[in-house]
Amino acid sequence: MKRIIAAALVAAFAAAPAAQAHGPTRKKVEEKVTINAAPDKVWAVVGNFQDMSWLPPVEKTEGTGGNQVKATRTLTLKGGATVDEELYKYSAEQRSLSYRINKVDVKVLPVNNYSSTIKVEPADGGKASDVTWDGAFYRGYMNNDPPPELSDEAAIKAVKELYRSGLDNLKAKIEKGNS
Amino acid sequence: MRARRLAGLCLLGGIGVLGIGLAPVPSRAAEAFVTAQNSDTVDVVDLDARKVVATIPVPGAPAGIALSPDRSSVYVTAPEGKALVVIDAASRKVLRTVVIGGGPLGVGVNPVGGAVYVADWYAKRLWEVDPKTLAVAAEIPVGTSPSGIAVTPDGRFLLVADRDDDALSLVDAATRQRVAVIPVGTRPFGVTIDADGKRAYSANVGSNDVSVVDLAARREVGRVKVGERPYAVALAQGRAFVTDQYGGTVSTFDTATLAPGPRLDVGEYPEGIQASPDGRTLYVANWESNTLTVIDAATLTVTGQVKTSDGPRAFGQFLR
Repeated sequence: MKRIIAAALVAAFAAAPAAQAHGPTRKKVEEKVTINAAPDKVWAVVGNFQDMSWLPPVEKTEGTGGNQVKATRTLTLKGGATVDEELYKYSAEQRSLSYRINKVDVKVLPVNNYSSTIKVEPADGGKASDVTWDGAFYRGYMNNDPPPELSDEAAIKAVKELYRSGLDNLKAKIEKGNS
Repeated sequence: MRARRLAGLCLLGGIGVLGIGLAPVPSRAAEAFVTAQNSDTVDVVDLDARKVVATIPVPGAPAGIALSPDRSSVYVTAPEGKALVVIDAASRKVLRTVVIGGGPLGVGVNPVGGAVYVADWYAKRLWEVDPKTLAVAAEIPVGTSPSGIAVTPDGRFLLVADRDDDALSLVDAATRQRVAVIPVGTRPFGVTIDADGKRAYSANVGSNDVSVVDLAARREVGRVKVGERPYAVALAQGRAFVTDQYGGTVSTFDTATLAPGPRLDVGEYPEGIQASPDGRTLYVANWESNTLTVIDAATLTVTGQVKTSDGPRAFGQFLR
């Protein structure tokens, strides 16, 4: 995570990424956390597409369209880099939302063609919640034989770390509110 | 089904070696060979039992797939292995791994001559691989980021989706020359030719639509809106079935009127789709959900689901 924040500082001055492409080997990451709070309470935080403050590197969320499909948001990270995202699926009943990144510098997050789903499911008879965060993406370098920092491994590591820090922080934040 | 196939095999046995290469094509598919990219395997799915009956290790992130005309060999592209992998369908074993370099992704087979065409994602070319020697017989220049490949039923022409040119290349199979560039929607990926060899359909990832192409006129004659990020097209019972990667749906439309039909919920990230030879059933590989969805073409309903290995793509022809 620290690496991403540090990278974000650099990225603020870097050029825009290349056009997204549809290369041959897309990767998946899935991370989960169990939170000691009812699903509705967790969804009240996770289900607000216009507030990503629970994700540690995010300083500010600005967007339009609320929680409607095609809503957009710009995350401003600590250090000034931005990530443009768009909501493409939203179900309050299933407590699930899906969004994609429309624009991010590979120096901030070394991925292309990124999409993601976060869902909240009841656990322990509804007293707790399982939050699952899935990501699908290509590595940062869309041609053959990538440099190490834009490899499949780098992309998977960066997304895993991002999800882990986000979910752990979400759990801490919500459970702290319980007490 | 199983009994009928066995009966067919016995018949063939009766007429001896003459039967080789002339095996009758069953009207229903018995098996699906599903490339599972994130687990480096190819799953063999028994379509009657609706379960995975074999898992064949194929290193290199297998993605594209096609079968030989007699359905005895399965050709799989392994983009990370930079290889074309040949699997013996009956014994379910890898026969050869042919390292060809570049970024092999789309693959198609000439239904008459058996030549194997492989698209190099990173270069403006196809490789033509000799099915007997498995040597590269020729390189065929096409457009940018060639992805899906389809061959006309008479084996005379191949069609390639040149994704980053927003066009299809039409290639004369005999001369290996590109004879036409047909502009379509934005970023075509999968391409399918109908049984008459008259029309082709490209799934346009960037414009969320399908281009309908008249192959004799060599131009686009229609455009149909579908769901988000269409990936590939299958044809059955006068309808087109289109996987919508981001939508998690299969869009349908009438191929005569181009009127949109129902949109079916399948799994997440549906990709490869193919109709059984009798047109009654469609099979859809869902990359994110790790499932193969079964669709009844007549009732337009989902009738089943098969759990697969991680990351099924089945980009191409995968039913045997």
